[in-house]
Amino acid sequence: MAAALQLPSYLDQSPEVAARFQRLQERPVALEVCGLTKTFATNRGTVTALSNVSFSVHKREFMCVIGPSGCGKSTLARVLAGLEAPTSGDVCVYGKPVSGPGPDRGMVFQAYTLFPWQTVKQNVMFGPLMSGVSHSAAESEARQWIELVGLSKFENAYPQQLSGGMKQRVAIARALANQPRVLFMDEPFGALDAQTRCQMQSYLLDIWKSVDITIVFITHDLDEAVFLSDRILVLDPHPGRVREMIEVPVPRPRHNDQLFEPSFMAVRKHIDHLIHPPGQDHQKESPVLRLVARDPDVQ
Amino acid sequence: MNPLASIFKGWFAIRRDLSAPRRVFLTAISFVLPLSIWCLVSYVDWIWHPDIKLQISSEREGNSTIFTAGDHISPSYYKEMVAATRAENTQLLAAATPPKSTKRANQKLLRQLAPIGIAHDWLPYTDAQNDAAIYHLWRDIATGAKVPVEPALSAENLEIVKKNWAQLAPVAADFSLSSLPETPLLKLIPQGLPANPVFLPAPHEVWRSGWRDFTSPAPAGELTMRQRYQHSLRVILLGFFWSCVIGVPIGVLCGVFDFFSKLFEPFVDFSRYMPAPTFSTLLVAVLLAGDAPKIALVFIGTVFQMILVVSKTTRLLDPALLEAAQTLGASPKQMITRVVIPGILPNLYNDLRILLGWAWTWLVIAELIGVKSGLTEFIETQGRFRNFDRVFPVIILIGVTGFVTDQVLSWFHAIIFPWTSRGNVFSKAFARLFSPPQRVAAKPVVPEGSLT
Repeated sequence: MAAALQLPSYLDQSPEVAARFQRLQERPVALEVCGLTKTFATNRGTVTALSNVSFSVHKREFMCVIGPSGCGKSTLARVLAGLEAPTSGDVCVYGKPVSGPGPDRGMVFQAYTLFPWQTVKQNVMFGPLMSGVSHSAAESEARQWIELVGLSKFENAYPQQLSGGMKQRVAIARALANQPRVLFMDEPFGALDAQTRCQMQSYLLDIWKSVDITIVFITHDLDEAVFLSDRILVLDPHPGRVREMIEVPVPRPRHNDQLFEPSFMAVRKHIDHLIHPPGQDHQKESPVLRLVARDPDVQ
Repeated sequence: MNPLASIFKGWFAIRRDLSAPRRVFLTAISFVLPLSIWCLVSYVDWIWHPDIKLQISSEREGNSTIFTAGDHISPSYYKEMVAATRAENTQLLAAATPPKSTKRANQKLLRQLAPIGIAHDWLPYTDAQNDAAIYHLWRDIATGAKVPVEPALSAENLEIVKKNWAQLAPVAADFSLSSLPETPLLKLIPQGLPANPVFLPAPHEVWRSGWRDFTSPAPAGELTMRQRYQHSLRVILLGFFWSCVIGVPIGVLCGVFDFFSKLFEPFVDFSRYMPAPTFSTLLVAVLLAGDAPKIALVFIGTVFQMILVVSKTTRLLDPALLEAAQTLGASPKQMITRVVIPGILPNLYNDLRILLGWAWTWLVIAELIGVKSGLTEFIETQGRFRNFDRVFPVIILIGVTGFVTDQVLSWFHAIIFPWTSRGNVFSKAFARLFSPPQRVAAKPVVPEGSLT
């Protein structure tokens, strides 16, 4: 049955999708990464986490970075956010080279990083207050962002009282309240259960549509990457380097039904093959399997 | 299930919390249990009571050790003492011609009865040598005008009182040394009851002595217990205050900047192994007598620990919070004032609570250096006189002070830091009294995703 299903090539784009990518290309470049290399000195010598990574992201584009574990996804996010200095190479935001963290680049982490001593509202006010906005202005701004993520009822709650999904929504509001030009998200839904993650994804797309923001989203989840992004950057591991930049042929607006569309499945299958080359997975038979008597119903 | 197992069901579940009533019950028991052991040991004769506490003593010829009422002696020596006194009386009665004695010896013999009078409040306790009053006491007991009950006189001793009074009454109605007989009077036979050693006074004795010490005016030239207490509190709080003023900022700096950590911590780590009391003579030499060396000792005892504990607490702050603040545009100064300090406050507060407990240990030593002072001087003095019934109330006072302070501070933790879920049932209830109503409304009620 599976053999009967003929998938189109992931390179086939409908005219609408092709036109969209054409328009995207014409937009200004929001983030430009040139020859980025990052090495770490460890006890066992130098480890190269990223090797000569170059790509660019256009204004209001949604780009995902995907790759097997150890390909330097998180390192890339940290270097782009300025939390780690690159060994060599440049990062430019709207043509301006960056060094060190700054309010022009927001970050949402996988771990919950809300300040536990502040209420939801105070957390969202943090960025504006740091940049010298008056308390009342920051407060009214924070209220708008909290409303956008749908947590107005909880503006006086402490993070400890919120669920995981709500915490990440506050984290998104907090990052956006700072009005960054690029938002980096490092596996922000990785710690959530499958159902919540699914809701958060459609939710994030809604926010992305209503806000002028360019998003670079790190993930290891294939469906998540295809569902969210315009383009997907696939990294190879050891050392992390660019394998392929894929244009996702799935038309927008996205919705959950598209998970079974041929274009979705085609691009998903292609990335799967890039990350897990076929024939490698079951080369070694697990010794446990040999200990169990064969059962014809379980073949 | 057998009945015993059903009683204990649920009390011993591994890593499970007990129900609130059971917790309260056990908390009460943890205090009641040691108190009842103390009561049992003090009031049930057959449990321990290795000594005899004398109610009436006697002196013997040629015996240089003099015991008085209230002294503790061993049961075997008590038996020997009773037998010897009886033998002396028998000898006296059997003698054909009564041996000579001095009026002075008879005067001392009469005073043997004084403790009985004092125990019954017939004599004030200062009147143990008021011979006129003691003389009338002999009369009153002999004639039956006064009947001793607690302690009662043994029949043997009552007989002796009557016999002696029969000899005294015809000569003089009131005491005068010259009218005492020149033949020996009969000696009272020693009386005593089984008792615990002097270092374990009974609860009621401790309560009585404590009440007297804490309420009565101080003897001339000495401080009242309240003044001593205030003095001790002043020393510990000042020592702790200076320790916080120096220790907390250095600790935070060490936790935040590796520079300060490597600059200060190795020496601090070394210093804390030098016991604070070893500095005492130096401190007295430098800071002279008075409170200064004492405060300095509490300071030295706590500050080194404080720096290390605070720097460790600061390092425990999740570095991801600092990174988040950085990506939100916080400057290094803002990261310290807006992230590090509010972030460590709840743990810092608990650290200081524990260190305040340690400071009490140093206080006891501090009060013994230079000119002894405060509560510890009282403990030291009374302990030397073996007045342990007066020592225990002060020890308990220090314990209660430390415990109550700690509990109150832990209650305040829940109020000052409402975002932490620390604290026990009581402190949470306490916090609820003070918290604004909005905290209650903050529970998630909207299901996830319904807002999309």
